[in-house]
Amino acid sequence: MIARQLHRGFKTKLKVVAAIFGALLLVITAGLGYRQILHQEAFSERETLQSQRRILLPGPRGNILDREGRILVDNRPRFAAVIHLSDANLRRQFRQEYLTRFREAREAGERISPRQLEIAARAAVVQQHLDTINALLQADLAIDPAALDRHFRIQPLLPFNLINDLNPEAFARLLENLPVDSPVQITSSHARNYPHGPAAAHSLGYVVSSLDLPLEDLPGGALTTFATQGSFGRSGLERGFDDILRGTTGLEIWVVDPAGFNVERIEYRPPVQGQNLATTLDLDLQLAGEAAFADRRGGLAAIDITNGEVLAIVSKPAYDLNELSPSISRETFTRIEEEGAWLNRVTQGLYPPGSTYKLITAIAALRAGLLDPEIKINCPGYHQVAGRRFPCHNRRGHGDLDLAEAIRVSCNVYFYKVGLETGVARIAEESRRFGLHEPTGIEIPFEARGMIIPDDAWKRQRVGMPWFPGDTANLSIGQGYLRTTPLHMALFTAGLARDQTGLNPTIIRRSPSRIEPAAATPIGLSPLQRESLLAGMEEAVQQGTARFTRLPGIRVGAKTGTAQVRTPEGTLELAWTIAIAPMDQPRIAVAVVVEGEDPDVSNAGGMVAAPVVRQVLQAWFQKHPWTSPEVAAAPPR
Amino acid sequence: MDKRTLSQARPFLVLGLVLLAWLLLPTAVRTLLRVSFSEFHAPAVVTASHLRDLQAFWGTRLHSKRDLIEAGRDLARLNAHYELGIQELETIRLERDRLEALLDLPSVPGYRYEIARVARRDFTSWWQQVLIRKGSRHGLEEGMGVIFSGGVVGVVREVHTYTAVVDLLSSPRVRMAVFVEGDDRPVSFRGGANPALGPAFGRADFVPADISASPDRPRLVVTSGLGGIFPAGLAVGLIEQLEPGPDGLFRTGRVALDPRLNRLAEVAVLVPLEDGSGPAP
Repeated sequence: MIARQLHRGFKTKLKVVAAIFGALLLVITAGLGYRQILHQEAFSERETLQSQRRILLPGPRGNILDREGRILVDNRPRFAAVIHLSDANLRRQFRQEYLTRFREAREAGERISPRQLEIAARAAVVQQHLDTINALLQADLAIDPAALDRHFRIQPLLPFNLINDLNPEAFARLLENLPVDSPVQITSSHARNYPHGPAAAHSLGYVVSSLDLPLEDLPGGALTTFATQGSFGRSGLERGFDDILRGTTGLEIWVVDPAGFNVERIEYRPPVQGQNLATTLDLDLQLAGEAAFADRRGGLAAIDITNGEVLAIVSKPAYDLNELSPSISRETFTRIEEEGAWLNRVTQGLYPPGSTYKLITAIAALRAGLLDPEIKINCPGYHQVAGRRFPCHNRRGHGDLDLAEAIRVSCNVYFYKVGLETGVARIAEESRRFGLHEPTGIEIPFEARGMIIPDDAWKRQRVGMPWFPGDTANLSIGQGYLRTTPLHMALFTAGLARDQTGLNPTIIRRSPSRIEPAAATPIGLSPLQRESLLAGMEEAVQQGTARFTRLPGIRVGAKTGTAQVRTPEGTLELAWTIAIAPMDQPRIAVAVVVEGEDPDVSNAGGMVAAPVVRQVLQAWFQKHPWTSPEVAAAPPR
Repeated sequence: MDKRTLSQARPFLVLGLVLLAWLLLPTAVRTLLRVSFSEFHAPAVVTASHLRDLQAFWGTRLHSKRDLIEAGRDLARLNAHYELGIQELETIRLERDRLEALLDLPSVPGYRYEIARVARRDFTSWWQQVLIRKGSRHGLEEGMGVIFSGGVVGVVREVHTYTAVVDLLSSPRVRMAVFVEGDDRPVSFRGGANPALGPAFGRADFVPADISASPDRPRLVVTSGLGGIFPAGLAVGLIEQLEPGPDGLFRTGRVALDPRLNRLAEVAVLVPLEDGSGPAP
């Protein structure tokens, strides 16, 4: 009876306890259900993030070609011996080495932190593998434990490079002697290759390595990502057309174990090479220009007069682009900087154009109706301007000259007088009409913007002084504050040949239908005026200052110039020559400037720059069948 | 579990126990047992091979005298041809030695040939190998190259006292640096995943993109001589097709191997000469 009563009491309590447990279980079940069903996606995503890793593989860059499809820049393979840190055997070796070292340290009573022991054990094992390579290649390479540890911590999925840039013999020896299942393997990557070394270095540009790869619609953006180094254009066309040249990034997605080592590849997209870029450069002309310059400093631009395509751009001193690939050493960078070779003298070099500018002075005067090309002007050997004597290069004077004769002998006095008559405003305006004051718009990045077409307003603003007649005299012969680039002068020369201003230069080869028509306007000279100018240029080649550009059997027109610039070392001369050929059907325009390097040595345009022009013209005429056989046969001078 | 079931399971139980015991054995003991098995097993294989040779010998003796005389004539002609070749090679070798001395160049590594009969051929999906009747007693070592009249056979993988196992070119375990004939850029060759039956093939990787090949115009693949195992110029196979790689720099291709590899009877092992002198093939 008593027991039954007691039992009844327990039964009630048991019910309460059961209800409590039931409620708790319900809460747990509800919680589980809530997490499993409602948050299933979030947990699944977290699991994915924890167990998968993404490796980005940069796509090789496209090639850069000349106008005939010849390779100017391509990729070269780079073979490397690498060790796969995720290899199961290697990891076993790490463990064994760690345990051995741990036992030895314990027996010796040494106190070494497990972390230090781990680093030392890994380095020792990797060094053993490197010693195998050392034996095969008779080398003496050693592992940098810190670099290995850094790699291990940051990107354990990627192989660790043991030797870069294996030569063919080393590649073959390792390939043949390393076991197929060894953790050490030979891999290939790619680096930029420049078959012609320094040729067109400034136009082509170079690339630098980067882990910042383009990620167009690649999956796994939220995953922990590792990337092998790609590259992006740092200068020249490599930079200007980086989006075309760079390849499409590939990827691998790996399932990894809790330690972060790869277990299984679940996705692979191969990288794809970038598109090729066809330029308008003519390799033959380019090489001829490079050779003609030899060790001199300066720049050369050659332009196809018919469409504004740039045929050659030579800037000296240059640098061998292969020295910058795959990376630039500090020594190389410093050497190039000390030589002043980073500057692209054709698009960035600002020079006074000297007597080549006299043609613009003449055009300004002719268009203003202030100059009759047939009227003769006397040159006594100097001209007095505001009490100051401005000399001609012929101190005894040229006597009476018309326009063509003045161009032929490059008489300063003739152009002092014409310039002073015309005035600075008209001359400056004419320069601007030819676009000498603004960037040409060529596709090579970092074109100069600091061209100077001086006039009264400019001088007051920049120098803080009024414009004097002497300034006009200087400007008339391309001296004084005037600054422009060789590319501008080449375009002016091409424009003169076309009887147009506003020619757009291009270095990218496009189909004729895709060439944008230039916003060209006629120069505005009468046939007689233009004929006088061109006749003067042709006579300069035949019997004047530009005779070193003469080519047998070809009508060439040229104008030389010798400008002076003040430097800390003294006054240096800049040798200029601009040229058009052939005169009866103009096809190519060339502008060359050669920098003088010694204040005591003459650097006259006709003596120094004209032979450079001649070699480039000769190379061009050798390639075209309608040229004179005499030119094709003539040896370079 | 009744008695009958236990009795039926006993063989599996024993097998499991044996496997477990084998796994638990120290590595040294396992290696010793494996080597001992090979050494004891080898005489049986070698004897069987000798018996096959004897069988072939008696088979040949059944040929008529006329056949033998004709074969003798052919052999004499072939010998004369080879004699001429040997003389030419000797002249070239002397010239090479003279130039080496003149230019103070290191000697081209020389080899002696250890001719060996093939005792057994194993062609499966797992391995592609032959057992030859020469071993460490004859100076053979692991990693030595093996050739035959058609070019490369493979590489010595295991060496026992009187026998050696040679991994054939068709084995994925063989990898070497080769040239595509007419080009001097090294290319990787590796044996393919060959089935037990069917023509053997390998794969060529790192083939420069400007090299082309097609079934109509296959390209011969030869040893590069750069790896140190084989001299240069030995035939490996024919690249019949090349596929562009994703990076645009290389192509990969299938290399058809010499069908005679499947019926090898005699091979030559290249034993490097210590002083680098001697006849080089």
